[in-house]
Amino acid sequence: MEHADVNVVYSVQHQLPLVMYIGQYFFFTGLSAGSFVISVIATLLGRKEFKPIGKITALLAPCLLIIAPLNLILDLEQPLRFWHLFLFYNWTSPITYGSFLLTAYPIMGIIYAVMVYTNRQNAAKILGILGIPLAISVHGYTGFILALAKARALWNTAAMPTIFLVSAMVSGIGLVVIIAAVRWKWFDKKADKETREGDKKLILQLAQFMAYVIMLDLFLILSDILVLLTAHSDAFEAGMLILTGNFAPLFVGVEIIMGSILPIILVLGPKSRKSLSAAVVASILVNIGVYAMRFVMVIGGQTIPLS
Amino acid sequence: MVIDIRRCIACHACTVACKAEMSVPLEVNTTWLKIVEKGTFPDVRRFWIPRLCNNCTDAICARNCPTQATYKRDDGIVVVDQHRCIGCKYCIASCPYDVRYINPLKNIVQKCYFCSHRVDAGLVPACVESCPTRAMVFGDKNDSKSEVAQLLAANATVVIKKEMQTDPQVFYINADETAMSNIENDNHYYTEGALIKLKI
Ligand code: SF4
Ligand code: SF4
Repeated sequence: MEHADVNVVYSVQHQLPLVMYIGQYFFFTGLSAGSFVISVIATLLGRKEFKPIGKITALLAPCLLIIAPLNLILDLEQPLRFWHLFLFYNWTSPITYGSFLLTAYPIMGIIYAVMVYTNRQNAAKILGILGIPLAISVHGYTGFILALAKARALWNTAAMPTIFLVSAMVSGIGLVVIIAAVRWKWFDKKADKETREGDKKLILQLAQFMAYVIMLDLFLILSDILVLLTAHSDAFEAGMLILTGNFAPLFVGVEIIMGSILPIILVLGPKSRKSLSAAVVASILVNIGVYAMRFVMVIGGQTIPLS
Repeated sequence: MVIDIRRCIACHACTVACKAEMSVPLEVNTTWLKIVEKGTFPDVRRFWIPRLCNNCTDAICARNCPTQATYKRDDGIVVVDQHRCIGCKYCIASCPYDVRYINPLKNIVQKCYFCSHRVDAGLVPACVESCPTRAMVFGDKNDSKSEVAQLLAANATVVIKKEMQTDPQVFYINADETAMSNIENDNHYYTEGALIKLKI
């Protein structure tokens, strides 16, 4: 085979421009978007038993979204110049949409949280409905950041924004399950037995919902990879990198098996479907898996030499 | 710019001239020679290809730069405003040619600007000036009297990764196809000091 006889000698450095701060940022915005959507669903349904979940998530969303951009600023080589983003904005760059969305969304999230906590149901509902597209854009645009960097075959697919959104939902729900379970176990002892039973059922339902979203996520990832493998040579190489190459242990092992399939079995399996601890373990696994996915995407996407 | 590989003797003069002209720090390069070895002993051939920013007409780096720090001048040269760049590195991630880097001393992104300061003063870029075999030729390709236009008219030329649709403005004569693009299944070796910089 001719290809095996080709050696490329690089005498210059091949920099990895984006480091894990970026992946971490994707992870935190994902958690935030996911928990916000859950919160709005809970508020909209308006049933009493959804209240605790709606409250926790309303608080989580803006908190996480204040941590997330710090990662971005830390990643800048010139962190003190971050305000250039607002002064010299360029509408063709996805980072520009991001910088405005990242300003609008936490503000909205805080107002929404205040409404939820002060029990102004109608205002919360309206803000929630307005906020969902915002939450989706805040996380969807992160997928666009990768997808529109057309040089990198692993990123440059139309499925990328959707994959990011769906995995955001997955990790967000996972986080909510964990927090709700902690609250149930240690901070909710005084409530009467019936409420406690109802709360537990709710958490289990949430975990099951998570399992269905994971299935959707798996489908999207599968289709993305199938297309990569049948597209041009750079894309094929990118697909193989995560299927059999250096990033395979993280991708196949951690993301797919440990972070997706195992949680589905735990949450939907006949033996463990009634157990809160199984749901919590599944949620932790899911979050590890999504974190690994961000790593594989951000770092893996850049390891294929372009020069 | 036109680069005639038939004339290139791989002397690295362009790399060195560029380093001196642009005060490029150690560990990074604005211009360099890409070296590709092909074949099995004893049928081996070595190819090289001078690499630099293509100053693309449809520059994806400029399109994706959030602060307009990377922009195209009226004459088509793509430049980075050192005082505006925030170092988000999105341009490095977007460029299909891997020709941008972080200047470790200034903490901003840099690349080749066809020596725009020299061009403005009526000179040619430092690499072109230093090339002993005149393998690199710089000029206005729309001016039919220029040497660049004549070379382009008289020779078949290729650009790197045409499929990326960035319309590169560095044209190569007689370049080896394998050396031009990174192909699948090849072995990538990094000489000492040129390893992937990982700071996860
Ligand atoms: S070669 Fe890369 S850095 Fe240079 S103009 Fe083209 S896209 Fe931009
Ligand atoms: S690193 Fe600088 S030049 Fe590159 S996209 Fe960011 S702001 Fe623009």
